[in-house]
Amino acid sequence: MGLFSRDSVTPRQRAEHEARAAAWEQALARQSLPSFVVDRLQNAAIGKQPWVATMTPAELLLAKSHGVKPIATVSGTCWFHYGWSWTEGHEEGWHHALNRIRREAVACGANAIVDIRMRTLRHSFGPSMDFTLIGTAIRIAGLTPSPDPIVATVPALEFVRLLEMGIVPVGIAVGARYDWLGGGYGNGWGANAWGGQQTQWQTSVFAGNQPLTELGTFWEGIRRDAHAALRANAAAMGNGVLAHTHFGEILRQERDKQPPAYLGRHIVVGTVVDTPRGADVPHAIEPVVDMRDGVSPLARTGEVRHAVYDTDPSEEEGSI
Amino acid sequence: MSDAHGQDIPQHALQRLAGLRSQGHPDGIFTSDFSVNEFLLVRKAGFEPVGLCVGSCIYHLGFQFASWGANQELDVLSTAMYEARALAMERMRLEAAQMGADGIVGVRLTVKRLEWDAKILEFVAIGTGVVHAKGHQGFKGPKQQPFTSALSGQDFWTLLAAGYRPLEMVMGSCVYHVARRGPLATLGSVGQNVELTNFSLALYEAREIAMERMQTEAAQAGAEGVVGADLHEGSHNWSPHVIEFFAIGTAVLPIEGHESDDIPDPKLVLSVNS
Repeated sequence: MGLFSRDSVTPRQRAEHEARAAAWEQALARQSLPSFVVDRLQNAAIGKQPWVATMTPAELLLAKSHGVKPIATVSGTCWFHYGWSWTEGHEEGWHHALNRIRREAVACGANAIVDIRMRTLRHSFGPSMDFTLIGTAIRIAGLTPSPDPIVATVPALEFVRLLEMGIVPVGIAVGARYDWLGGGYGNGWGANAWGGQQTQWQTSVFAGNQPLTELGTFWEGIRRDAHAALRANAAAMGNGVLAHTHFGEILRQERDKQPPAYLGRHIVVGTVVDTPRGADVPHAIEPVVDMRDGVSPLARTGEVRHAVYDTDPSEEEGSI
Repeated sequence: MSDAHGQDIPQHALQRLAGLRSQGHPDGIFTSDFSVNEFLLVRKAGFEPVGLCVGSCIYHLGFQFASWGANQELDVLSTAMYEARALAMERMRLEAAQMGADGIVGVRLTVKRLEWDAKILEFVAIGTGVVHAKGHQGFKGPKQQPFTSALSGQDFWTLLAAGYRPLEMVMGSCVYHVARRGPLATLGSVGQNVELTNFSLALYEAREIAMERMQTEAAQAGAEGVVGADLHEGSHNWSPHVIEFFAIGTAVLPIEGHESDDIPDPKLVLSVNS
């Protein structure tokens, strides 16, 4: 002490720790929040506690000039185990996390959550993964708290610019689908159960140049269904989806005395927007040429905001 | 409500923020892989996205023997690489036509290897279908089909501002086998600085073939020129002496009545925030 004015960490008493753990458990089961979290969020909302924002100073400047006030950093996490389907487990995991982050935003009387990032830890325990969303809850001057705050993946800077142009980023939509071609489990007992024969001929040693029609049609069907699921999910929130992230793969399973079976899975995640068709873009666009040698800050590329599904082109997918 | 600069936030956005309105768009929803900036610029150019268009083709490559010491095109592979991409693009265009799009912006072509079979490649063409917001019909591609363009939303705005419209993505492929050098030739050049002419020649020839094919396609589409042309060299897990040269670009046509005087002079700026 003496040199440091800060308090050192006081270890939590065992009883307190257990009480908090029990409160979390109850809250998750009841789809609510523990009282200490609600207190923290409400205190931030009324100014009894400092606000916390992921914004940069530039974002704070623009937010302030547009009447946007940050309240608190909010999050939602769900560690999800996929029992019967990896693909649909992902869809469900994200939906749980979305519901939870929205619950925190409601607790602090927000109009929106901006700058939402999708995250996951890189280590997994068995067939499970954590689905985490982190963002900043904001309040707009002159508006009443929303019972259903909107969920925006864009940072505060872009959020305000979008609002001016009549585009409201309202949420995150997820569409996922998997199926088996030949044999299989889950969905595979349907129309595709006896498939795979034609693909086996088409890929034999003597086969020449040809498109794999059976496998191609199967794969296209999965992708279409995943997109249809995305659209259905998005339709409940807005009228458009931007900035997709795709993840898809086909796996082959060798089988005894039968043609190999194929598992295809596809996940699409996107930002949902709500905008009238053909709305005007009020700002003029001016072409400029930067006179700086070397890398111009104007040419800086945006960072990747959703690094959950790696689509690193250097790995196995090549452009062109 | 308006900000410090008098810019109003539209009413429908405010309602949405206050949680007063949750949906209500009878005319369906669009999907697109545009970034926010791309979306704004496509809108500024007078177009609206209608939906993501995807075409894919999983293709089995045939086999072709290449003699050890010969420079030659492997036309079986050239055909395969071209046909598979063309099929993927055609399917993408079909999706666009079905949703009534005038064209497809921001098309990306990818080739993916499947880990369980080296002879199978997956080709994917993906882009966003757009329609002219005021229903202008003059932007369709050849044969009244939707146009295709590899340009991003930003480049699309700039291209239209320059008085050109995209017609069609054009491409040319050439898979070439570069001859190995014989033992005598190798011995003869020990300790000398010499050009390996047969290698130079092979690269020249393969590139030339790919470019020629692309240019022929552009001429067939009735284009004035090709922008954003690029040459890719790739060897998709083939033996080291087999290389693919792939040329791709967007064929364009001038917009009638557009004068070069209409183009604003770009402003010169010096960014100081580095």
